[in-house]
Amino acid sequence: MVARQLPLSPAAGPVARTSPEYVRISMASAIALRVRSGRFSRDFEFGGMNLLLSYDEGCRSDCGYCGLARTRPGSYEDKSFIRVEWPLVRTDDLVERMTRFEPVLTRLCISMVTHGRAYRDTCDITRRIAERVGTPISILVAPPTLRRERLEHFRSIGADMIGIGLDAVTEELFRSIRTDVPAGGLKWEKYWEVVTDAREIFGPWKVNVHTLVGLGETDQDLLSMFVALRDRQIFSYLFCFNPEPDSRMAAQPKPSLRRWRRVQLARHLIETEGFGLEQFGFDGNGGLARFRAGRSAVETVVAKGAAFMTNGCPGGKGEPGCTRPYGSYRPAEPFHDYPFAPAASDLEEIRQQLLLDDVVR
Amino acid sequence: MEQGEQVIVAGFPLALDRRYQAETHMWVLPTDPGRARIGMDPLGIETSGTLAQLSFVPVGTQLTAGRPFGQLEAAKFVGPLVSPVSGTVLAVNDAAAIDAGLTERDPYGAGWLIEASLSDAAGDLSRLLADAAEITAWFAAKIADYRRMGVIAQ
Repeated sequence: MVARQLPLSPAAGPVARTSPEYVRISMASAIALRVRSGRFSRDFEFGGMNLLLSYDEGCRSDCGYCGLARTRPGSYEDKSFIRVEWPLVRTDDLVERMTRFEPVLTRLCISMVTHGRAYRDTCDITRRIAERVGTPISILVAPPTLRRERLEHFRSIGADMIGIGLDAVTEELFRSIRTDVPAGGLKWEKYWEVVTDAREIFGPWKVNVHTLVGLGETDQDLLSMFVALRDRQIFSYLFCFNPEPDSRMAAQPKPSLRRWRRVQLARHLIETEGFGLEQFGFDGNGGLARFRAGRSAVETVVAKGAAFMTNGCPGGKGEPGCTRPYGSYRPAEPFHDYPFAPAASDLEEIRQQLLLDDVVR
Repeated sequence: MEQGEQVIVAGFPLALDRRYQAETHMWVLPTDPGRARIGMDPLGIETSGTLAQLSFVPVGTQLTAGRPFGQLEAAKFVGPLVSPVSGTVLAVNDAAAIDAGLTERDPYGAGWLIEASLSDAAGDLSRLLADAAEITAWFAAKIADYRRMGVIAQ
């Protein structure tokens, strides 16, 4: 049975409704702000709002896995980002709703797309929000549109954290799916230039790099990246590849839940427990084959559950801020990253998925 | 199948020619003696969120009142479709399984879910809301509840 591709906003008609006057918001944000009816399968506090710039021409990049890719068939209105519809709303109406719901908001994130107007419009939208809402603001940047002064300007107008969607964790992989593609051209070096500048400008643990599991990298590639980022006091945020219909990688399978769980656990051990690469063993294909740590120490980390929660920017009090419920999987699938602390029954499932007996002595 | 009388309650259409299972938002429309069509009312659909997929048990499956006969998946929600009656599945709406939007657009008509023979028609139907005034009052109260819960767009 084929799932229905959710439509994009019916509010988007033939009249140009583009940023900065309009912006797309995630469906979870739309539900939380009561722009759309609906609910989550589980009951939990949700306050992380995700915004996405919107242009008639769409994103000018052409990444093989992305629903917004330039050469993916269909008009921009028919494209989706991370599987589901992102409703289009008037920016000023959105800010008004944010003021109304501010007590429950934990984190606001504005996602740029690669477009000539993206920098200017991101500044405009950030200012409109920061003037009215005290919730901390992150910007998920589009490196091709930026230089150092622009990052400094983001900080001056109210953003406190910067995200960089590297996604592919090796240069070779990055080139094959983001650079050397029909309308590609994204530059690995430019992404790292922005990471370095952002780290210098925003400070330790104020920058995050998005890494995607399942694009064709090895576990060793991923863990090497987590260590390198941790050593620079930069967060690694984990995302799970989800094949977007009609994208060039539509036929590529998702990573197995077992692999995903083990990578989640390894990332957490590296970032919060100080593990080095030497504390993991890999098979001949770079697959994670061993956690070189005491079983009880690993079990203790698993039992806390934090390793399996969504990686996202924190709220103003350090609490989980951006939790993206069902961000890269369907509600009918098992939770991949939990937007809340996993309950005892969740942890039981997680242990079965991890199958630690195979990788920890 | 022709649709009977509908009223609008706080912005939501409500068909008064059928019976309702209050907790699950399922409607039951007797079509022949011992046989009924089953669907979901628009309030149940709306508060689930934008529908992504409906799936049903196969034709011939035994139904038990209070047990699932399928699954509803929306943008951020998944839950069982719970049968309001016991009996046997005679037909499923393949069109709704292919395009869940059909059930959103026409929940009382073309967006029906299954047809069933009823093993205890008198008993099961007697436990459903049937009186127009009672149905309308229940529906209005649920809308108010859902608005308080924040699951209806404003």
